[in-house]
Amino acid sequence: MIEIIRPLTQLVNLQSPLSLNDYISEGGYQGASKALHDYSPKQVLDLVGDSGLKGRGGAGFPTGMKWSCVPMFEADDDNAPAFKYLVANADEMEPGTFKDRYLLEGAPHQLVEAMIIAAYTIAANRGYIFLRGEYHLAGKRLQQAINEAYQQNWLGKNIQGTNFSFDLYVHTSAGRYICGEETALINALEGRRANPRAKPPFPQISGLFGQPTVVNNVETLCNLPHIVKQGADWFKALSPNSDSGTKIYAACGRVKSPGLWELPMGTTIREILYQHAGGMAGGFKLRGLLPGGASTDFLLPEHLDTPMDFDSIAKVGSRLGTGGLIVLDDKNCPVAMVLNLMRFFAQESCGFCTPCRDGTPWAVEVLTRIEQGTGRKEDLDTLYNLCDFMWLGKTHCALAPGAVEPLKSALRYFSDEFEQHIDNGCCSYQQDNIVNKSLTLQSSQGGAVHG
Amino acid sequence: MDDKNISAAQKVTVYIDNIAYQVSKENNLLAGVLSQKLNLPYFCWHPSMGSVGACRQCAVTQYQDENDTRGRLVMACMTSVSDGMRISLQDKDSAKFREQVIGAMMTNHPHDCPVCAEGGECHLQDMTVMTGHSVRDYQGTKRTFNNQYLGELVGHEMNRCITCYRCTRFYNDYAGGKDFGVYGSKNQVYFGRQKDGTLASEFSGNLVEVCPTGVFTNKVFSAHYTRKWDLQSAPSVCAHCSVGCNTSIGERYGSVRRVMNRYNYDLNGYFLCDRGRYGIGFVNSAQRIKKAQGINQTSPEKLTRLDVSRALAHFRDKRFIGIGSARASLEANFYLKQIVGEDNFSAGYNRQQMAVAKEYQQLLSDNFIDDKMLSLREIEQCDFILLVGEDLTKTSPRIALALRQACRNSGIEKAASMGVASWQDSAVRTISGKRNSPFFAMQPMATKLDELTEQCLLLAPDDIEQVMLALTTVLCLTDNEKSNYFHQEEWQAFTFEQQSFINKVISALATAKKPLIVTGDSLLSAKILLATNKLMACLKNQATPSKVNLVVLPSASNSIGLLSLIDEKSISSEQVLAKVSTKTVAGLICLEQELTVYTNEQLTLLREHAEVIIVLDHSESRVSQLADIVLPAAAISEGNGHFVNYQGRIQRFSQVHAAALPILDSWKWLSYIEKALDFSISNQATLQRKKAKPKENLAELHDYFSENFTLWPTLKDEQLEQKFVARMTKRASGRTSQSANFSVHEAKVVEDKDQHYRFSMEGNKPNAVKNMPFTWAPGWNSNQSINHHQVEIQGQLSHYSDDVYVSFNFTRESDKNVAVNDDTLAAVITDLTAKKTLTYFPQGCLFQGEWQSALTAEFQLLAHSLEKNPTLYLSTEFVESQGWEPGQWLNVSADNKSCFAQLKCNNELPQYLVYGNINDFVDHKSGLSIKLTEVSEADVIQYQKNRQTHYQHLKVIQQNTLKQLKISDQHIPIRFVAGGLDDA
Repeated sequence: MIEIIRPLTQLVNLQSPLSLNDYISEGGYQGASKALHDYSPKQVLDLVGDSGLKGRGGAGFPTGMKWSCVPMFEADDDNAPAFKYLVANADEMEPGTFKDRYLLEGAPHQLVEAMIIAAYTIAANRGYIFLRGEYHLAGKRLQQAINEAYQQNWLGKNIQGTNFSFDLYVHTSAGRYICGEETALINALEGRRANPRAKPPFPQISGLFGQPTVVNNVETLCNLPHIVKQGADWFKALSPNSDSGTKIYAACGRVKSPGLWELPMGTTIREILYQHAGGMAGGFKLRGLLPGGASTDFLLPEHLDTPMDFDSIAKVGSRLGTGGLIVLDDKNCPVAMVLNLMRFFAQESCGFCTPCRDGTPWAVEVLTRIEQGTGRKEDLDTLYNLCDFMWLGKTHCALAPGAVEPLKSALRYFSDEFEQHIDNGCCSYQQDNIVNKSLTLQSSQGGAVHG
Repeated sequence: MDDKNISAAQKVTVYIDNIAYQVSKENNLLAGVLSQKLNLPYFCWHPSMGSVGACRQCAVTQYQDENDTRGRLVMACMTSVSDGMRISLQDKDSAKFREQVIGAMMTNHPHDCPVCAEGGECHLQDMTVMTGHSVRDYQGTKRTFNNQYLGELVGHEMNRCITCYRCTRFYNDYAGGKDFGVYGSKNQVYFGRQKDGTLASEFSGNLVEVCPTGVFTNKVFSAHYTRKWDLQSAPSVCAHCSVGCNTSIGERYGSVRRVMNRYNYDLNGYFLCDRGRYGIGFVNSAQRIKKAQGINQTSPEKLTRLDVSRALAHFRDKRFIGIGSARASLEANFYLKQIVGEDNFSAGYNRQQMAVAKEYQQLLSDNFIDDKMLSLREIEQCDFILLVGEDLTKTSPRIALALRQACRNSGIEKAASMGVASWQDSAVRTISGKRNSPFFAMQPMATKLDELTEQCLLLAPDDIEQVMLALTTVLCLTDNEKSNYFHQEEWQAFTFEQQSFINKVISALATAKKPLIVTGDSLLSAKILLATNKLMACLKNQATPSKVNLVVLPSASNSIGLLSLIDEKSISSEQVLAKVSTKTVAGLICLEQELTVYTNEQLTLLREHAEVIIVLDHSESRVSQLADIVLPAAAISEGNGHFVNYQGRIQRFSQVHAAALPILDSWKWLSYIEKALDFSISNQATLQRKKAKPKENLAELHDYFSENFTLWPTLKDEQLEQKFVARMTKRASGRTSQSANFSVHEAKVVEDKDQHYRFSMEGNKPNAVKNMPFTWAPGWNSNQSINHHQVEIQGQLSHYSDDVYVSFNFTRESDKNVAVNDDTLAAVITDLTAKKTLTYFPQGCLFQGEWQSALTAEFQLLAHSLEKNPTLYLSTEFVESQGWEPGQWLNVSADNKSCFAQLKCNNELPQYLVYGNINDFVDHKSGLSIKLTEVSEADVIQYQKNRQTHYQHLKVIQQNTLKQLKISDQHIPIRFVAGGLDDA
């Protein structure tokens, strides 16, 4: 088997991340230097476009296309806005997802370098790293990296003798899942309620404080130094698949060795689960899995050979999402798992639009009764109705449709479980093994478990 | 959507359920659907506040073309109208979704309609019925909240909230409020204040109408409650400032219950200020005059016309001075002037005020002979504002709100350049960022609008005049001349801030498309008005790219009506005193005039010398207490007449209910007086010895005037030939049994001799006339039913007809204007520029700024609220020079009055300028000279105790007033014929 190239994680050191000088001596900042000195912003944009890099936050939107919407101005253009912003979305709160934390804690300079390149491309003069509040260590390390970068003129005025100036700040979030939505993030950054904004206008045109703004996921950004350094073709060749590059995949739940691994885009679920996570833990059988965090549809063991890329996962009815697998085994109750997820989404609804605000708690109410054994036959209709009620196109943002995905797929794949709960008036798993259930609840809450 | 009539060109064809409709492209699809009078439920959208897409209630299915059978769900409020678009309201998908939305809202909405004040006019009820949701699927418990005390005006019941965000969008985004917000998240979103306390916005009452359900309720109305359908309503005009907002007053059992906004395309639109909404309380106050005083009645039961004639017979043929008033109707003032003659007519203004009136008239005749002053809606479209010498948030709050909207135009323009329509509220606000249209202001006190200004100068009136003059000078100069002028001493005398203010105004003016200058008379400075006139003259000659608009705002509801009656012969309050003292006249007729211009000494003098003082008023004042004869006049809700607003627009207020006799319209009393005194006025040939028949209704009065006076505007009752319109709703219950505790016989319907509204539920629908008594449409019981009565959403009412305006041609044959004594101007100036003494300017108080509304029990409480200490702002420089500390208490004395106030510093203030909110200086005179002395801590404690006692006293008055109202509900003090004294 050929050796896997792991550009994103090769310089990660969780114990003590590389200092600026060490990072440079390992080949760091070469991408930024090349971009600043050898390329025009347009050339970088084309390069990123050619590389086929897609957003790693979950939606998979081509990064080059996102950037190309940012209005560019000549230096003497009176209409040029005073500020353009670049924001790194480091508010990693998707249950079952902890990849950005790994990059932030292990290689902060990689993100700083990436943001210099991105800012240069869109001519942003101010950047923010919107960091999940609980990521204290990442915050400390990022700040240290930024300080070092300022000292050596990788940030600030006229970076490395060029005309390009860029200031970078770390902003720690006050903590809402919805801040992962880019316009809600912008509102939070402005000091407003973290409600998603109406689109259009898209942030690229009118974002933070009304100015052109690009928001990118941490993992997406971290690809940039390598793309600039090694070229678009190299990046495409990293993956045997139509989606370019590598992806950090993770697995949690009842697997032998939960963790995360940088693998070529399009690695199959089976390979991730059995080769890297070591297969199911002793005594547990695979029942199903969420392929990319909590807001994706369940997949079944029959889907194990699906490549984990955007299109292939979509074809089998789910979403690649963040690439963090959450594994459901045969000893834990699927209804309880869906209930737990729904509680999370109900809790994290921003309260703006009706389907999400009042629909998710309603689903929680129904699921709770079913799980407790006091459900009725009509409750399943209510759940189907609610799935319909909160589906895409009916809500203000993607939170509620995301919440619907595990519920809807569970209703399809595990309908017998729901019916048994109602018919028997109890949850059979709860009687079997109370300890296991609480463990599952914990592990499916993501951030708490990591590799 | 801003033009009166949307031309056919802007309309496109939209197929709604396969029927073609012509829909305006200027607004969103929801507005387009509602404009066709189709029913589509909505919550978060508001015609004035635009769309945000929060409630998802207005979902419809949109189809690509006629072959598309699936379609896709879109939110109508977030969708633009395009030619040939096909949508469906009746398809299963969207109908089911709309029902689900209501179902979801109902998971937390309590089933308390029977005890909810909103019940019967609840938008949520209407929309629920509209979607067909009738069975509750949700099995869980409901969320509960604690409610807050939000002051005396607005009630709070958060459990009813359906989280549509309208309240915060109005209070914070639209009206600029700071003390209200959104807290929490998920289905626990809380709308309220950080802690209990009175809402600080001047527009808090609009929450009641903006809220689609019963979260925010009219607290005063709830305290003496009746269902909407049991109210008797009539179209009225706000009596509490010069804007002339249209209102609908509701009454039951003889007492006024509430004021609601009455949509007016040109003026108030959908919103009123709190003074307009709650100031009506004076009608129910304990100070109302309900009986005639000083007249011997032959029957103790009732006052007859004969009694009045007898009482006045003694003064037959004697001469009287008539003092009119800016709060009395145009008819009453006009009539009074005709009765007493023009050289015995006074507006109740002193010399200073007469000087202001003269300049005011000059300003109006110089600028508004051909043009009309901008309406409130037009003000909202301006993109440059220079505000001179007014705190509009306290004098004309609704205009302040309009200026706030005008400031957004720069952002709206930017959004438009990006293809985002103005109704996309959140998108426009995102794009606007911190952008504001240029706004400059000068006044002596800090105001709530200052935050919107590019620059704001705090200046004494004379300095404002100087800056205005310099601005005029610089505007007229060429570039070369400018650089010369900038070196001259005259220019150097200005501070750097003032210089840059002038320069910034000029450069912003040069690029403005619809610039606006706003000023008024609240500082009583004739010089500012004169300077404004000079500036306007200069701007007219300038080749400015756009015409500069001017808006001048007087203080009272009929100030302009009164101003139109003031001429060169009108006398000042000083001259009144002189005439009475020299016994040139027998006495005075005070028409709704409390004579605040007189000091107590002057008033005593007046009393001593006047043979007789006749007062016509609705509430007791210090003048009515001195009077020989007091005649109870109708308050706004009890009478008919016209007010002239700041633009000169003549607007009708109609009788809501017939008050118990002998309360009559002032002009009706004047017709009795005219008859009884048999005035003969030598210089009014037309009236000479004309045995005038008392006028029983407005039409008779108008005929009488139009026969005699060519100046009288033609005020024909609208569509008199029309059928009668009911003042009550079709569902009004209990009219026939309301007196059943006395007699089971059905009472006769009160006849209205004045107009075509009926005191019953019989008659045409409310929308049959332009001035709708109330608004209702099938399926729409809330005020939002107004949608059904507009040509287009936010457009003109279906029965629109042009208003009549008074002429501003004040040029007269003799001296062309009010004769002002030579030294009047000079006297005014020296008064205000006594720079070595501290000069105090009140910040103004919404609840005390107008005499009538200040009598409202709730306003008394709010004005003397213990939540805030009286505060005095001084320049930091001055405070330091005295060795005082911010926060310390001082004794403030002026005009024989003194009170305590807490000291605060303001860096922007010139040294001798002081402003504050000392409500004890009730007359709120501008430019008072004050003295400050330090006080001991013990005195302050005593002072605070006194305040508390006084507050408790006011609280008792409020409760007693309410108790009295509830008692009189049992007696129903109404009469059955709304004519004159002997009709009943």
